[in-house]
Amino acid sequence: MRLARVLERVFVAIPVMLGVAIIVFFFMRLSPGDPVDLMMGEAGSVSPREMEALAREFRLDEPLHMQLYHFLAGLLRGDLGNSFVKRKPVARLVREHLPATVELAIGALVIALVIAIPIGIISAVKQHSILDRVSMAGAFLGISMPAFWMGIVLILVFSVYWHVFPSHGRLPFAVGLKTITGFYTIDSILTGNWSALASTLKHLFLPSLTLGAGTAATIARMTRSSMLEVLRQDYIVLARAKGLTEYAVVVKHALRNALIPTVTIVALQIGTFLGGNMIVETVFGWPGLGRLVVDAIQRRDFPLVQGAVIVYALTFVMANLLADIIYTFVNPKIEL
Amino acid sequence: MDRKWLIVVAFVLIAALFGGVLGGCGPADEVEEEEPKTLIVGLAQSVLTLDPAMHRDRTSETVIRNMFDGLVTRTTSMDIVPEIAESYTQLTPTEWEFKIREGITFHNGDPLTADDVEFTFMRILTEGAVDGQSSPRKGLLGSLLKVEKTDDYTVLFTFEEPWPIFLRMLPHQQIVPKNYIEEHGSDYFAENPIGAGPFKLVEAALDEKIVMERFEDYYGGSPEIPPVGPAQVDTAIFEVIPETSTRIAALQAGDVHIIANVPTHMVDQLEADPNIAVKTCTGTNFFSVSLDMEVYEPFNDVRVRKALNHAVDVDEIIATVMDGLAIRCPGPCIPGSFGYNEAITGYDYDPEKAKELLAEAGYPEGEGLSFVLDTQDAHKDTAEAIVQYLEEVGIDVSVRVWDWGVLKPLLDEGGERAAVFSSWGNSTMEPHDLFEPKFVSKLDDVLGRGNYSRYSNPEFDELFFETTVLIDDNERIANYKILQEMLFEDAPVIFVYTPMVVEACSAQVERWEPSPDGRINLHRVGLKE
Repeated sequence: MRLARVLERVFVAIPVMLGVAIIVFFFMRLSPGDPVDLMMGEAGSVSPREMEALAREFRLDEPLHMQLYHFLAGLLRGDLGNSFVKRKPVARLVREHLPATVELAIGALVIALVIAIPIGIISAVKQHSILDRVSMAGAFLGISMPAFWMGIVLILVFSVYWHVFPSHGRLPFAVGLKTITGFYTIDSILTGNWSALASTLKHLFLPSLTLGAGTAATIARMTRSSMLEVLRQDYIVLARAKGLTEYAVVVKHALRNALIPTVTIVALQIGTFLGGNMIVETVFGWPGLGRLVVDAIQRRDFPLVQGAVIVYALTFVMANLLADIIYTFVNPKIEL
Repeated sequence: MDRKWLIVVAFVLIAALFGGVLGGCGPADEVEEEEPKTLIVGLAQSVLTLDPAMHRDRTSETVIRNMFDGLVTRTTSMDIVPEIAESYTQLTPTEWEFKIREGITFHNGDPLTADDVEFTFMRILTEGAVDGQSSPRKGLLGSLLKVEKTDDYTVLFTFEEPWPIFLRMLPHQQIVPKNYIEEHGSDYFAENPIGAGPFKLVEAALDEKIVMERFEDYYGGSPEIPPVGPAQVDTAIFEVIPETSTRIAALQAGDVHIIANVPTHMVDQLEADPNIAVKTCTGTNFFSVSLDMEVYEPFNDVRVRKALNHAVDVDEIIATVMDGLAIRCPGPCIPGSFGYNEAITGYDYDPEKAKELLAEAGYPEGEGLSFVLDTQDAHKDTAEAIVQYLEEVGIDVSVRVWDWGVLKPLLDEGGERAAVFSSWGNSTMEPHDLFEPKFVSKLDDVLGRGNYSRYSNPEFDELFFETTVLIDDNERIANYKILQEMLFEDAPVIFVYTPMVVEACSAQVERWEPSPDGRINLHRVGLKE
């Protein structure tokens, strides 16, 4: 039954994706800027025949409905087209850049959880203590700090002054990692290249912290408030009355129920992490999908923007579905 | 109980992982420790392709030119010198003969011959020649009709009409291997490029880094740029770091050795660092305020345009906004250009004179003059300074900032924007390359492609096209001087400046100087121990 509902939700996602694809198609074409003209740059020495030939090659000389037809027909065949500027299949470019983005998103999520959940629990259990006030002030700061500023400050402190973490990139060439999956952490484990693993994690830390800080703050506040609510419930009083240790009361009885709203937030954040990391990727020179898209938008590389946005939409829809599925597991009273 | 242990173990593992990271790492300049002769360059933009025929992009060309050599190259003082070519002769106004050096090999060991040169140029000229796609670099070859091999080491270039700037444009083309591309196809070649340059590709992730190693059998490069011989470093890496602050931090942290595009306001801070050297040279971007004579009627009056030129204190803008890192363009050419007219010293900053001219034109105290100055974010500061000066003579002006991709088509279409502050690239430092798009009457998408003033002077056009096909340099220089005077007198733009190229390198780097065209050639660059 549950599987049938999941499949139904997956199928419902298809018209959503199609809608997104068509909207992006028109948005890109309605936004001013001619891809061929931008490609030629601000320089002389351009021949009209050359510009016409390129427009023809990119099908920009065809009417809009024919361009849409070619795009959708390609989409049905699973062909996202070729990038105007990079002259490579869009699907391949997305595939090459996605692992970096996903790896960063996972790093950010891990950091956010590791920081936020203990803080949330402790602040709730020790409500109004100094620890509570300091950590909530910290959470407020985490939400308020813009990623581009925080990223640069972290680079200054940890790379320039203290030389603890590298300033940018995913991995130095010298560690000689053989890539298999494109996920450098996994690849270094698979190939047993431990220096590459250490270096990958070092490179991953600052961008993950920057990306995860805001979410960590949200999760900490969320965990704290739901934990406070749960701790006031009768069954907690009963658990204490039974003579259970404080640890057992908090972790076994309170935490599981308190984490229900947190789990939803976390699952939804996966979509935000994947879509919202353009700034972090730019600041840290992280070669992910976000940077690829920003670059493609500036150059009016229509096929690349379309392809990448479809992938974003797909991840977002799937992250939402995942959130709903997880929700049914942590709270069996709810159905999909 | 089991679950509790699982959670504990998971936390310990995560903590150990990051703990290990924090504890086990030394300084971040690990690359230097492991590879003392690895030179790392921080680029501001991604590289688009490694196929020399398939881009119109300075950053891509910068990287490509370290793997591929051309028939000729430029020195950092912009002189054209032979590279793969041994010598060249102009046989007739439309024919050039090139002798190719013998003994040059590509990275795979194949000899470089006239076949490769012919193939390189015909691949760009012929529509659809790159596995069905067309090269966007055809326009950089002017009226070139064909390139033919006359013997194994001689090629003949034939043009439809004389094209005097050919040699200055030629450094933009690099020689590719015919047999290799024919055998493997262009897609494979773009992934596994081989050239005859000082470095060969090791691996490339175009949005991340491009790693190259020294090509041991390199023929040595241009004999006129010492020291002739193989590259001075074992490995050269170009890393893409789009964010300026991060790029600078990477240089300060020792993660990279050379960085491009240093903002002028960061120069003082970098110069204070003893481990860093800031290097500058003249740039090749011509900045001006185009005054659209079709859109805004008052700009039709040359007195108004001259008044605007008198109203703006360009020297002060350079000193304050640009921190002294720009060179004033008193007229329509970048100082030092071919045929530069030294007699033009620019419009003096003279607000009183500006007011007089405005009054003569019927706008006393600037009354009745009101327009918007459009620009893009990168040039906002100067645009705002210009506006302040214009306001001082009574003109009602404001700045509007755009994304360039949005503004450009609006400028092309015309009909709305009165004035725009923008730049135009002139990497050949040849007036032809600047006048054709900026000042020739707008005819189609190409002629007058950047003529946002919609300036149209038949006399100018006639002399310009006459000059375009002149072969004798002295005659061209004489004509260019006249053309510059015409433009100066007509003042279709407010003449502003050319920003200097500002780059920075670690003190370890030797024999590296920035180039006016912004390219970073590592042929001769070394690293001190």
